[in-house]
Amino acid sequence: MHISPIYASMLVVLSPFLAFLIQAILGKKSISGNISLAAIILSTVISLCIVFFEVWNQSPINERWAWFTIGKNTFYIGILLNNLTVLMQLLVCVIALPVHIYSRAYMKDDAGIHRYWMYLSLFCFAMLGLTVSINLFQLYIFWELVGFASYLLIGYWFTKESAAQANKKAFLINRIGDIGFLIGIALVYAHFGTLDLVELFGKEGNTILVDKNVAWLNIAGIAFFLGAMAKSAQFPLHVWLPDAMEGPTSVSSLIHAATMVAAGVFLLCTVFPLFNTFVLLIITIIGCITALSAAIFALAQYDIKKILAFSTISQLGFMMVAVGIGAWDAAMFHLTTHAFFKCLLFLSAGAVIHEMAHFKAHEKLDIDPQDLRNMGGLRKYMPKTFGLMMIASLALAGFPLTSGYLSKDSIVVSAYEWASALGTWHLLIPLTLITVSILTAFYIGRLIFKAFFGRFAFEQNNSSPALHEASSTMLWPMGFLAACSLFVAFGWTPIDYHNTWLMHGFHVKSTATAIPMAHSIIPLILTLGAVVAWGIGWRWYVKAAYPLNPNNSLIVFANRQGYLNEINNLLFVQGTVKLSQLCYGFDRTIIDGITYVVSGITKGLSSFANWFDKYIVDGIVNLIGRLAYLIGHLVRKVQNGRIQNYLGFALTVVVLGIIYLIIK
Amino acid sequence: MEEILFYAFATLAITAALLVVNIRNTARALFLFFVVLFAMAGLYLFALADFVAITQILVYVGGVLILLIFAFMLSNKELLADLQNTSRKFISLPNWQSALLSLAFLSVMLYAFWGWKQHTPDWIMESQRQGTVIQATDNNIATLGFKFMTQYVLPFEVISIFLMMALIGAAHLSRKGDSV
Amino acid sequence: MITLTHFLVVSACIFCIGLYAVLAKRNSIMILVGIELMINAAILNFVAFGKYDKLQYGGQVFALFAIVLAAAAVAVGLAIILNVYRHYKTINPQKINELKD
Repeated sequence: MHISPIYASMLVVLSPFLAFLIQAILGKKSISGNISLAAIILSTVISLCIVFFEVWNQSPINERWAWFTIGKNTFYIGILLNNLTVLMQLLVCVIALPVHIYSRAYMKDDAGIHRYWMYLSLFCFAMLGLTVSINLFQLYIFWELVGFASYLLIGYWFTKESAAQANKKAFLINRIGDIGFLIGIALVYAHFGTLDLVELFGKEGNTILVDKNVAWLNIAGIAFFLGAMAKSAQFPLHVWLPDAMEGPTSVSSLIHAATMVAAGVFLLCTVFPLFNTFVLLIITIIGCITALSAAIFALAQYDIKKILAFSTISQLGFMMVAVGIGAWDAAMFHLTTHAFFKCLLFLSAGAVIHEMAHFKAHEKLDIDPQDLRNMGGLRKYMPKTFGLMMIASLALAGFPLTSGYLSKDSIVVSAYEWASALGTWHLLIPLTLITVSILTAFYIGRLIFKAFFGRFAFEQNNSSPALHEASSTMLWPMGFLAACSLFVAFGWTPIDYHNTWLMHGFHVKSTATAIPMAHSIIPLILTLGAVVAWGIGWRWYVKAAYPLNPNNSLIVFANRQGYLNEINNLLFVQGTVKLSQLCYGFDRTIIDGITYVVSGITKGLSSFANWFDKYIVDGIVNLIGRLAYLIGHLVRKVQNGRIQNYLGFALTVVVLGIIYLIIK
Repeated sequence: MEEILFYAFATLAITAALLVVNIRNTARALFLFFVVLFAMAGLYLFALADFVAITQILVYVGGVLILLIFAFMLSNKELLADLQNTSRKFISLPNWQSALLSLAFLSVMLYAFWGWKQHTPDWIMESQRQGTVIQATDNNIATLGFKFMTQYVLPFEVISIFLMMALIGAAHLSRKGDSV
Repeated sequence: MITLTHFLVVSACIFCIGLYAVLAKRNSIMILVGIELMINAAILNFVAFGKYDKLQYGGQVFALFAIVLAAAAVAVGLAIILNVYRHYKTINPQKINELKD
């Protein structure tokens, strides 16, 4: 029975959505998460068997259905299945499945767990839908939905003030990116008349039939990159990701390590043909800055999850650099490997935090279970967790025999080839990447040494503290992820990244000539650097021979994340508050003032008119009346019945008459 | 000599008349009126109208004035009381509108007399020329009596009837009982 | 020399005084006295002019008639004043104003 991959892919997308609906309806009655788990298992199986194997390296398929029409423009929804999209879809399923299993143990006994399963299914639905969207409009819808699911999950413990602030921050910063994405969509639609990925870029997704040096294309490119910047936490829009660690660790592992933050990179790979050299250069530079700054900040953090968050930002910077230099297949490769080992890192950190929290509740201490300074020597109590986390750290640091080694080297080598083809100052990019790789090794080594080596901070009080190994429900998913972090998941050669099946899937023409020497020297430099970094770390943290003052200004600067949050707060939050106060003041004094003045003038006028009416108009009328009265009064006196008066008047007239006659 | 007497009588008449109209006390005013009438009679004599002067004294003073005084004196107390309570002064201030009017009339008349002095009327000049002016030595009474019986007998009779009617009417008007 | 004008001036003065009395007095009897003064002035006038009329003695005759008429006027006037007093209880002409409008 041949099921079309299109319908299979639709089933993959809709099955978590169904789980979301059922979980929402059942509410508190379903707390085991079986529905979500069943849905994701179904999605993974179908995605692997039917979609991936049918489409990978075969011809791409797509299908669209008309959704609505405005005027003469019709908008469609549909499924696009090519190498890129089916890889992403499979990746999301394969990462989500262990996280679902892990969550059963991690989130056990949490009140409100029914909401957790609901949001997790919603997120999976949105992310899966994002990966196979046929046009940018549909992609944008799922993009927003993913952001919304992230908001819900970060603020899962919404009664905690910091969690409520964190999810607001994440959503707001994502909005900034979404404006960029929307502007990009609008520009593309205005100039091409279509948002369909197949019509724009061809079936393989790598052709475009337009001159790329026009001004609007610059703006569109930057706009799309802005969207990716917010979602993939590039500098300076990365500030939401450290705060997003307020969510449960399993959520952090799925969303903020492996899948959602990778959506930005995925978007850039999808619209890659749209970018011209100017935009690509900007992407490279910003990716580089991100990688460097995040690595520096990670060096001085004390919270386990924050170290991992900055590590994610830094690795995303790597991926952006890869996109910028044109090697987006290397970016996708790094995305895939990073998904596995970063997810594993988070899950192991979650196991550690889980045990520390139990210890804290047991001993009734008031410690932060996520603070590195409260840990130490945990390798004795949690050996399996230690082992798995070690594998993940080695992958992150880029030690040979891990998948991370392959993907990171692919990026650094490509960067070097690109820079040497272009010129002198471009060499800064690979130089920075090498520096960041060494710093990466250092900070992850620091994490491992401080947490698992040395002595447990509370050992002196209690010779056998109540710390146990993580439960097997947690360990099996972690083990699966560890297996995928080794080189064997991607190819048979542990050294040459070009021979991985993933890189074979993407046909990216690199613009720079391959430099064979770089292929061997750079990995050597990176590995040596990592070993040296770990050596220094061993001395400082395990042997406790720490030479620097922990309170020296550079460390504090890095710990406070470069005061970026403070700057943002000052500029934007306080700025907006001051602006609103200014506007309020303006409105109050000037506008209301004008209103009062006008009303005062009107009142004055009206009172003047009143006065005028009362005294002058009425006065005239009264005057005339009074005049008539007086005249009447006066004249009435003539007829007063007094004969002497009558006589007087008569004689007066006579005299006057005689005088008149005399004068005449 | 003649002139001095004339001026004396004239001054007396005018002064007494002024007092008559200005005195508060009506009784005294009426008695001063008596002086006025006598002075007027004197003036008539200067105009060589002796019979008129005597008749004035007989009729006016003896009749009219006595009538006024009797009427005033025989009035009720309320009447007298009403008359006396206006002002305390001996001489009341003149009512200026009436004074003005009177002065106006006076000035008009004096102006006319001034003109009269310039142009004496024809008949007076005629009679002066012809000498038909009454002399001091004429027998006025005889001539008047003669005139009354011949030339003026009709007005004489009419006036006697008139006088009778007036007196009867006055008597009827002032009878006791309900007045008309 | 006593000219005609002297008499006329005196007559005018008496007349005006009488006129003043008629117009200004608050007592009806004084009004009557004023009327009498006016009539007296007129009689003086008659007599003054009558000096020049020897033929007809018109001035003096008329003066006599005027005296008689004055007497009659006084009599009737007093009767009227009596009746007015009976009706109005006052002889102040200012208070007798029911002829007004």
